[in-house]
Amino acid sequence: MTTRAEFLKRLESWGVKLAKDVLELKEPVMEIPARTLGNTIWDEKARMLKLGPEKMHRRFLDMKEARRFMQTVLMLRLIVEAIREDVYPTIRDLYYNGKHTISFKDPLSRVHRENTWDEQSESNAVIEDIEVATNVLREEMGVSADVKGKIVGPIVVRSQGYELDASKFGETALSLPVNVDGLEIVKVEAAYVLVVEKDAIFQRLVREKYWSQENAILVTAKGMPDRATRRFVRRLNEEYKLPVYVLTDGDPYGWYIYSVYKSGSIKLSYESERLATPDAKFLGLTATDIDAYKISDNYVIAANDRDVKRAQELLRYPWFQKPEWTREVNLFLKKKKKVEIEALSTHGLKFLHDYLKDKIRGKKFID
Amino acid sequence: MYAYEALPVAEWFRRNRELAGFHNPTRALYQTVRELVENSLDATETYGILPTIYLRINIEDEQKSWVSVYAEDNGIGIPGAEIPNVFGRVFYSSKYRIKQHRGVFGLGLKMVVLYAQSTTNKPVYVRSAALKSDKIYEYQIMIDTNSNSPIILDRKEYPNKYRWHGTAVKVYLEGSWLAAKKRIEDYLKRTAIIAPYAEIAFKGPDMELWLKRRTTKLPPAPKEGLPHPKSVDVDTLKQMVAESRGMTLLEFLMESFDAVGEGTAKVFLEWAGFNPNMKVTAMTPEEMVKLVEKMKQYGGWRRPRSEWLSPVGAELLEIGAKAILGAEAVFAVTRKPESYGGHPFIVEAAVAWGGQIPPSDKPVLLRYANKIPLLYDEGADVARKVVDEFNWQNYKVKFPASLAVIIHVCSTKIPYASAGKEAIAEVPEIEKEMRLALRDAAKKLRLYLSRKEKEMEMFNRYVSLAKYVDEIAHNLAITSRLDKDKLAKHLHKLIETKIGLTVEELVKHTLSLSAAPQEAEETAAQ
Repeated sequence: MTTRAEFLKRLESWGVKLAKDVLELKEPVMEIPARTLGNTIWDEKARMLKLGPEKMHRRFLDMKEARRFMQTVLMLRLIVEAIREDVYPTIRDLYYNGKHTISFKDPLSRVHRENTWDEQSESNAVIEDIEVATNVLREEMGVSADVKGKIVGPIVVRSQGYELDASKFGETALSLPVNVDGLEIVKVEAAYVLVVEKDAIFQRLVREKYWSQENAILVTAKGMPDRATRRFVRRLNEEYKLPVYVLTDGDPYGWYIYSVYKSGSIKLSYESERLATPDAKFLGLTATDIDAYKISDNYVIAANDRDVKRAQELLRYPWFQKPEWTREVNLFLKKKKKVEIEALSTHGLKFLHDYLKDKIRGKKFID
Repeated sequence: MYAYEALPVAEWFRRNRELAGFHNPTRALYQTVRELVENSLDATETYGILPTIYLRINIEDEQKSWVSVYAEDNGIGIPGAEIPNVFGRVFYSSKYRIKQHRGVFGLGLKMVVLYAQSTTNKPVYVRSAALKSDKIYEYQIMIDTNSNSPIILDRKEYPNKYRWHGTAVKVYLEGSWLAAKKRIEDYLKRTAIIAPYAEIAFKGPDMELWLKRRTTKLPPAPKEGLPHPKSVDVDTLKQMVAESRGMTLLEFLMESFDAVGEGTAKVFLEWAGFNPNMKVTAMTPEEMVKLVEKMKQYGGWRRPRSEWLSPVGAELLEIGAKAILGAEAVFAVTRKPESYGGHPFIVEAAVAWGGQIPPSDKPVLLRYANKIPLLYDEGADVARKVVDEFNWQNYKVKFPASLAVIIHVCSTKIPYASAGKEAIAEVPEIEKEMRLALRDAAKKLRLYLSRKEKEMEMFNRYVSLAKYVDEIAHNLAITSRLDKDKLAKHLHKLIETKIGLTVEELVKHTLSLSAAPQEAEETAAQ
C-alpha cells in the first residue's frame, strides 16, 4: 500500500512543476480533469460513472481563473503542510486555515481587499480539483469530512484495536469512521444490506428490531451519502458478496441518491471505482408503488417545478436509460405525484416491514 | 453716445448708473474692480505686453462703508497731457474704432470716477507713464459735472529713471467689501481662466489671491477695422459723418465701411436711390435714417471680416481652465467666424472634466463676452439654454459629473439680453454656433473618456491578477521549497508580458489620464 509520504511527494511535485514554470517565465497552467456532466462517462460494462478524458486548464493569467488558481495553490500548500506535520485535518479545518483576507495596494495606492474564499463550497471544490489533478484521494491525503454514516446489524469490526459488535448498540448505532478502509471487518453474518435514505426510518427499523428479524445490516447516511458510507457499502458488497438494497423517498432526489450508491456521482466520478456498488438494487419507493400499494391520497404530495426539472434531468442521464427507470420517471412526470417513505404507514405502522419483505422476497426491485 | 452729448454729465450719470452697474455699494465695488482690471488688460495684451496687475482693496472707513481700490498695470500708459481728459471728461476716449474691446468707449472708467466722487467726494488718484516716456505723471482729478471738464487738484512729475510704463489708479468709494468679496474673487479667477498669460496679484482686507501667469503666449491682438454697412445704427452714422471731412457719399461708403469697393458702393447707391456725388454732410436726418435702413436691407454686401476679433484660442483656454479649475482635462475649440446682422463673431467653447471640479447634476457654466466674465443673469443667457439642452449622454457624460463648460463669444458687438450686459441674447446665429462649438468640444471629451475607460480597464485587468501574486508566491514557495521573492517577481513579469505594458507604463498611462494637475491650488470658480 502506498504510504502517505509517497502521496506527499506526488502533491509536492505538482506544486514544483507550477513553480518551475513560473521561474522559467512560462505561464503556470494547472491541468485538471473536468468534473462536469459533459466529462462524466457512463461505463456500461463496469456499470458505473467514470471520469472522461476532458481536461480543463486553469491559468493564472486568465482573469476568470486567477482566483481559483490562487485558491488551488493555497489549498495545495495547506494539504502539503498537513502531511508534513502529520496531522489529519477535516475539510472544514482546511477551510478555516486558508480563509484570510488578501490586501493589495495597487500602484495608484488604492487598496483592494478580498477573502481567499468565502464559502466552504469554494475550498471543498479545490480539494476535489487537487484530488483529480494529482490522482491522490482525499482519504489518501488524510483529509476527512464529516461522516454521517452509521450502521446496525450482525457485523463485528475492529477499530484502533477495539472490537465493536454492531448488533450490540441497542437503540443507538455504530458510527462509521472517516477512513473506512482502516476499519477491519472481523465477522459478518448478515443476509443482506439495507441502505435507508432517511435517519428517522433507520431509527424506527432499529427500534423495531427489523435487522435482527431479517438478519440484515442497516445503513444510513442521512440523505446524500458521503464517501465513507458509500465506500463501506461497497466493501460489504465486494468483500462479503452481500446483496445491497436501497430504500429512498419516491421522488427524483431519492432516486438520484440510489444512483449515487450504485453508480457514483457526477462530481466524484473519479472515485466511482472505490465507491460505487453496481449490484445495489432499488426497493422503492417507486412511482408505481403509489397505485401498487394503494397509498392513500393523504400521503401523496404534488410534485413541484423543481421536482419536475430534476426528473427531466434524470431522464437525460445515461445511467437512467433503463426501461424500468424511464417508465418510473415518466410515470412520475405524468402524474406529478411523489411520496415519502413514511407514506407506507397508510396501511399501519407495521406495513413498512411487510413492504420491504414483499419487495425483497418477491424480487420486486429495480436493478 | 453721440445723442447724449447735449445732456449735462450729472444727468447722464443719474440716468446711466443703473445700466453701468453702480446702483448699490456691493455692485459698485465689483463694477469698479471690473472696470479697472479690464482697462489694465486692454492697455497691455492689446499691445503685445504680458499683463501684470496689482489690485488692492482697503477698508478706509468702516462706519461710512468707504473703501479704496488701487489698480496698477504695466500697460502702455497714458501720455501726461491726456490724463486729465481720459479721467475727467466723459465721452473722451481713444476707443472710437470698432475693434473688439473689453470696455466700450472708456465710459466705464468715467463711471468709476463719477461714482467715487459722488459717494466720498474724493478725487481719483492717477499715476502713469507712457511707453518710453522719461517722465511719470501723477494727478488728482475730479470731474466738474456741470461743465464736463476735469478739475485738477494736484499734478506732479517725476523723472522716469527705470523706464516704467503703465497706469496706477486709486479711487475712494462707498462699497461693501464683504458682500462683494465672493463676486470679486470669482471675477478674478474667471479672468485668469480666459487670460492665463496675465499675472494678477490681489490683496483684499481679509484675503489674498495670487493668480500666476501660466503661459507667456498672448492671443493675437485684434486689428482695428471699419464697420460693416449692415451693422451701423443712426447714432454711429452721425458720428462717422462728422468725421468724414466733406466726402461724397460714394467716397464715404468706400472709405468708412468694411467690405465696400467702388463697384459695390455704386450698385448699392443706385439700388437705394441715393446720389453718389452728394456730400455726406448734406444729408438730412431723414436721409440718414433711410441710408441706415437701406444698408441693413441690402443683400449684396460681402460678409463682414473677422480680423478685428480676438478669440483666446483653444490652447490658452485649456491652459487657463486646467490651472484655475484644477480640471483633469480640458478640451477647447474655436469656431470659424460667423456673423449676425453685419457683426462678425466667433464662438469658443471648452469643456473641463474631473479633477477639482465639484460634481454636480448639471455642468458649471462659465460665460464670457469679449474675454469679460459674465457673472450675473446666467438664467437669461442663451449659453445656459444651449448647455441645458445639450445631450450629454451622447458624449459619455453621466451626471452627477465634474464638468464645467466655458463659452466665450467675441464680437464687435455683443448682443446683450439686458441692459446689465451680463447675459447674451438669443440670437439664432450665435445660438447655433454655441451648439456646434459645444458639440466639437464634447466630441473630444468623449474620445478622452473612452480612451480613459480603456486604460482603466487595462489597469483593472492588471490589478485583478496582481492582487494574487503574493498569495500564490507564498504558497507555491512553501509547497515547492523554492524562493518566494523570485516567484513573486516572475509572476509580476508574466502579468506584464500578458498585458503588454510594464507596471510603470501602465501607471503612467492611467495617471496621465486621471490625475489632476498638481499645480492647481485654487478651487473651482462657482
